[in-house]
Amino acid sequence: MRRRNFLKLSASACAALAALRLGDKDVFRPAQAKTALATPKLPGSLGAKEITSVCEMCFWRCPIVGKVKNGRLVKIEGNPNSPANGTRICARGNSGIQLLYDPDRIKYPLKRTGARGEGKWARISWDEALDEVAHNLKEIKKKYGPHALAFFDHGASAEFMRDIFKTLGTENYTNEPAFFQCVGPAALAYLKTYGYVTSGTRQYVDMKNAKAMLFIGTHIGENVHVSHVKEFIEGLQNGAKLVVVDPRYSAAAAKADVYLPIRPGTDTALLLAWMNFIITEGLYNKEFVEKHCTGFDELKKAVKGYTLQWASPICDLPVKDMKRAILLIADNSPHVSIHPGRHSTWYGRGDTGRHQALAIMAALFGAVGVKGGLYFPTPIKKGHPDFGCAEEEPDTPAKSISEDYYPFASTFGSPTSKIIEATITGKPYPVKLWGINGVNIIQTISNPYHTMKAIKKLDFVFCEEILPTETAIWSDIVLPGATYLERYDAVYTFDLMTPYLTVRQPVVAPMFEVRSSFWIARELAKRIGLECFNYNNEVEFIEEELKGAGLSLKELNKKGGIISYKANPYRSSKEFKVATEDGKVQLAVEDFADEDLDPIPKFIPTPAPPKGYVRLVYGRSPVHTFSRTMNNKWLHNEVPENHLWLNEKVAELTGIKDGEEVILENQDGYRSWPIKVKVTPGIRPDTAYMIHGFGSRSKQLSKAYKQGASDQFMVTEYEDDPFMGASSHRTNFIRIVRAGKVINLPELCPPPKDIPRFIPKKNRTGGK
Amino acid sequence: MSQLAMVIDLNRCVGCHACAIACRAEWSVPVPYRRNWVKRLGPETTPKGLAFTFYPGLCNHCDDPKCTSVCPVDPEEKVFTSKDGKTKKVSVRATYKDPFTGAVLIDKERCIGCGSCVEACPYGARYLNEELDDPKADKCTFCVERLAHNLEPACVRTCISGARIFGDLSDKNSQVYKIVSSGKAVRLQSKEVSIGPNVYYVGKDRDVLLLQKICTPHERRWENVMAPVRRGILKAAIRKLAKAV
Repeated sequence: MRRRNFLKLSASACAALAALRLGDKDVFRPAQAKTALATPKLPGSLGAKEITSVCEMCFWRCPIVGKVKNGRLVKIEGNPNSPANGTRICARGNSGIQLLYDPDRIKYPLKRTGARGEGKWARISWDEALDEVAHNLKEIKKKYGPHALAFFDHGASAEFMRDIFKTLGTENYTNEPAFFQCVGPAALAYLKTYGYVTSGTRQYVDMKNAKAMLFIGTHIGENVHVSHVKEFIEGLQNGAKLVVVDPRYSAAAAKADVYLPIRPGTDTALLLAWMNFIITEGLYNKEFVEKHCTGFDELKKAVKGYTLQWASPICDLPVKDMKRAILLIADNSPHVSIHPGRHSTWYGRGDTGRHQALAIMAALFGAVGVKGGLYFPTPIKKGHPDFGCAEEEPDTPAKSISEDYYPFASTFGSPTSKIIEATITGKPYPVKLWGINGVNIIQTISNPYHTMKAIKKLDFVFCEEILPTETAIWSDIVLPGATYLERYDAVYTFDLMTPYLTVRQPVVAPMFEVRSSFWIARELAKRIGLECFNYNNEVEFIEEELKGAGLSLKELNKKGGIISYKANPYRSSKEFKVATEDGKVQLAVEDFADEDLDPIPKFIPTPAPPKGYVRLVYGRSPVHTFSRTMNNKWLHNEVPENHLWLNEKVAELTGIKDGEEVILENQDGYRSWPIKVKVTPGIRPDTAYMIHGFGSRSKQLSKAYKQGASDQFMVTEYEDDPFMGASSHRTNFIRIVRAGKVINLPELCPPPKDIPRFIPKKNRTGGK
Repeated sequence: MSQLAMVIDLNRCVGCHACAIACRAEWSVPVPYRRNWVKRLGPETTPKGLAFTFYPGLCNHCDDPKCTSVCPVDPEEKVFTSKDGKTKKVSVRATYKDPFTGAVLIDKERCIGCGSCVEACPYGARYLNEELDDPKADKCTFCVERLAHNLEPACVRTCISGARIFGDLSDKNSQVYKIVSSGKAVRLQSKEVSIGPNVYYVGKDRDVLLLQKICTPHERRWENVMAPVRRGILKAAIRKLAKAV
């Protein structure tokens, strides 16, 4: 019995039970307790040995300090010398300790003994594991050619293994779900408008100095990157006004001056109408547009028909609210943060266009290279070690699964959806081997049923993993990777408002038989017989990188593990130049026109929910990263499962109660695992929301398994962005199953005629 | 007299839970216990509009702590020393309010682990650590151990948005004094439970309304702690323990 419950009992029962417990020798355990109280000399993390490093609980990579007592990591804090985060780190950063000491970790190389996905393994030696991977890479390449090899990766540590795939000559060596399931459309839109990736791994937007900010779906606060959040809050504290456009009342929306609960899928209609409004009302920055932009006349013409009155029924927003929001931004321009967004694989068609519209809007306000606007990176000098990976003569496939399908895909690699399709169909060429590093592809890529079907068809699949994720249990060989706390990586430079250079270094020695990614890649290369990785260990090439910055590892560590630089983010009108061909901001992108794509975004409606269903959207919890952290003891304890946000009116009409456990059924008949409902006014009636990454299907993740429902497993319908081939994630609809009975959800915001209704696969004629 | 206090600015807080985890790490607080916590509130309709905010909570180090008065351990004289070297002798039980800092603390050597204080706290800020072989009550100390080394509390050090403002209410130059004396900050107390909590909250009207509605305690829990009965039981336990040793 727990002590607290014991205390709640009535006096007599309490006395009786206490008497029982008194008889139990276990009641008295003084000896051990005394030693527990006597140690250590200094309490808490005080007096610990400190090692500076870089976090990787997410990919913002905050500089950290690991605090070690008696060889055990006891605490992680932000590196006080970091100009970006200082001593601050988020919940996940604080919880890195529980990734390191997770009892479920993959401790040794493993070989599959059961069926793929069954999770039955035998422990093998490193030699055996590496030989088997090397043998398959060589054999499959020999039999089917280099392009039969494909690599899925995420994170810095994956780059070494990526070099192996690249050297082997496949075009499928970089297929980052980070681009094709996340930031790709935004990255492309900004690259083509401004000549640099204003939103990729980083977002170059000066919220700290903004007088007003505009977020389209961006939910900073629930999406946590420490210095980004810090600058957002500092901006608000400095008095910045905030406009948030989101079908859900997010943590950011809760801080907004104007909140627009837009109909999902109509953001571009709103943006086009706003652009037309600011052009016709003369609210745009004429000087900036004239001097620094090309394509204004085309833009003006292209957006002419889009009025606020037209957008109102489409977006389901009152004209006066749309006007109020844009005037708030216009009144504060040019010092306004038109946030570029990050995760942008929402609806497929129109994703690149939506972010292009945001990019154009920033330019119309002249909110580029000025305080509060989009800003320029500050490059930091470092050395570039030559790994000596001798690329073989590239063998171009007769039909590429990258650029022959999507003209701008090859900027990022091969679209994940195309690799999966080729693996299943063997067309346009067979894909027979997958390597996976740093990404749980089954909980990341649209339609996991397709992903699993493809894996079943492979001759060989291997991964480097830290935890027994779904991806690990579907692999033939699992290589146990070191966490970021146990390894060196490379030198990191941060080129945002608070530039710095730092290095990831081990805080503790690697546990079990885990090895660093560099060691694994180097050993693998040796066994394949590749000329690659001219360095014996990480420190050798880190020194080379540091030499380029005029430093050594010893010196860097002496300086607190980090060096700060002065930022150069702004440009005067005279200096202003972007890295496009003519040095000007492209309000109409000719490269797009050259490929028969719209040079200026158009409104392409995404189909509305079928009757009885609502659209499923998803987002982030501040304590979780993708599906990576759900097994972390401390983070699991904070947010153990996700909930389905359901509008209160919809709940009332269907009798669904707050906290009730239900099952979701999507438009294709796929059903979720049980999830509790959160009834709230903070979501539109035509939309339901859940946090991404829950509902793990790996039984070996003892804490994460079956906790909440997976949004990914509801995403069976997707379409690719026609520009770069990213897969959509918000093109699925759910209804609710309660006690075995299907409940159709009432339609409280019927779509206008301009928006077609979604047609389920089985009712479609022609097409896909 | 000094009184350490914290102001939590809900306009800055994004509900990231870093405070909760930093505290857990710093003081090795085992799951599922907590010294501090973040509860997510809303979105819910309030008279001032739709609110979605957070309740970052911790021990309030109350002016009139009820947890200390229910402690059944016999009082003993304890000498307290101030920062500037002054001393004061006070008769205290195993949990007490430091006369110099106003922090409510637990003497782990003397705590018998009866859980009375845990039951008494209307904020649920204490827990009985049953992971220990000899269970002890535990709670937030305002990190007085860190303050002694000129370090801020662990939760303040990690707070990513600077939402936790910590200081001494008796210091008129402190930020906490300035905010509290401006009258803008609220304490989570009710007609029934009014014991002077020293954690304050500021924020938009709608957020504060929602916080107060959901998180203000109304139950005088300390009145339900059956101290005399339990004291007898525990004294017996201690006697038996003494004999066994």
